[in-house]
Amino acid sequence: MRRFTRFYLVREVPVFELLGEECLEKTVRTGRFYALSYKTRIDQDDVVALLPTGQLILSVVKDTYEQLGLEGRPSQYAHKRPMRYVVVIDLTDKSMAPGSKRYDRVLWALREKVPLKTDFLMACHSVVGTEAWSLPPCLSRYPWKELQASVDTQTLRDLPCPVLHGDDLRGETACEPHAFLEWLGAVGLGIGCENEATSFLSTYECPEPRTLVDQAVLCTVTGLLLPEDIHSLLEELRRYFDQPKSSSWLSLVVHGFADSPISWGMAEHGFHKGGENFYSFVLFKNQDYWLHMGTGANDGCPP
Amino acid sequence: MSDPGAVGGSVTYQRLVHKNSSGFHYMKVSLVFEKEGKRIDGAFFKQLIISALRNVYGEIGAAFPFDVLKFEEKSLTAVLRVYNSGLVKLWSALTLLGSYQNETCAVRVVQVLLPYQYTGGP
Repeated sequence: MRRFTRFYLVREVPVFELLGEECLEKTVRTGRFYALSYKTRIDQDDVVALLPTGQLILSVVKDTYEQLGLEGRPSQYAHKRPMRYVVVIDLTDKSMAPGSKRYDRVLWALREKVPLKTDFLMACHSVVGTEAWSLPPCLSRYPWKELQASVDTQTLRDLPCPVLHGDDLRGETACEPHAFLEWLGAVGLGIGCENEATSFLSTYECPEPRTLVDQAVLCTVTGLLLPEDIHSLLEELRRYFDQPKSSSWLSLVVHGFADSPISWGMAEHGFHKGGENFYSFVLFKNQDYWLHMGTGANDGCPP
Repeated sequence: MSDPGAVGGSVTYQRLVHKNSSGFHYMKVSLVFEKEGKRIDGAFFKQLIISALRNVYGEIGAAFPFDVLKFEEKSLTAVLRVYNSGLVKLWSALTLLGSYQNETCAVRVVQVLLPYQYTGGP
């Protein structure tokens, strides 16, 4: 858990700074840099994301788009009149090489026409054996804070737990997948699963078939978590089954940011009643696994 | 994820796509009283919501079940579970609630979740 990459919260960064030559060298060209605008709402504000592939994504409201004058497309989840537009700029493309016409136009739009400024969460995964990445001077001149993923661990005792069979995806002989995911959520929020059907407050029960587990561990990690670190965590969790007294399954749930402009690769992500986009790995002792991928109404289908 | 070196092991892959298949919606709500420091319990909170539903939709309109999965007395926040068909009625009744037993109060809907977005995430 301590090996999660540290991330940075940098305040009031003008977006055009990300296009600077020095900045590009230390961020985009590493191929492992992630940035997402902080506390910007995908259905109301201008949201900016920079992917490790070098794509700069600006999901902006109609006014900002018209003033920026950059080429984009209306949001897929727009109503009759588009109120949101998405501009995607590939910073690694030849046409965006510093000094080229397109590069100058984009820089001018972000610096002069609409000086977009936002707080950013940023991180860059460092290759094992090399020095840890730190903020380059083009970004560190703005107020910044280095943060570590917060880890909260709880031990749960006498937990009613659904029975799962790895080869039963439909829940014909064991717990049904939706009921299982609901139970996972209930455990995560500390919701009691032992109610009677006649109870006034809540009738929620642990799904059948169920068993009682003496002890279980619930670990919650919060922060800007990079896919590389999650992959390492998954590899560690697989090794848990090498222990003699391990349980028959374990679960890893990863939530994407509700206000991210994309999810599942480059598919546009929106916020309808909720901004859910998540995946859940359930690993079994025999190395079978389930992968649940959940999306909201304003999302593309996961791969 | 079977061991590729296992003798006689075969790797099978199944993909199932479910659309709109969850029967429930979940709401994270927060109750705010005008008079600060008021303490109530879960049963009182549920009765408050039932009365709000009856005020807007009448006895028959309010006759659908919902669960108060979790209620925190200190912060007056709760997680509710309702069938999809009752979501709009519940949400609208909560929005229109202005007072209960002559006490001015309001319910703020913090989040509307599908089953899985439970951890109070980012």
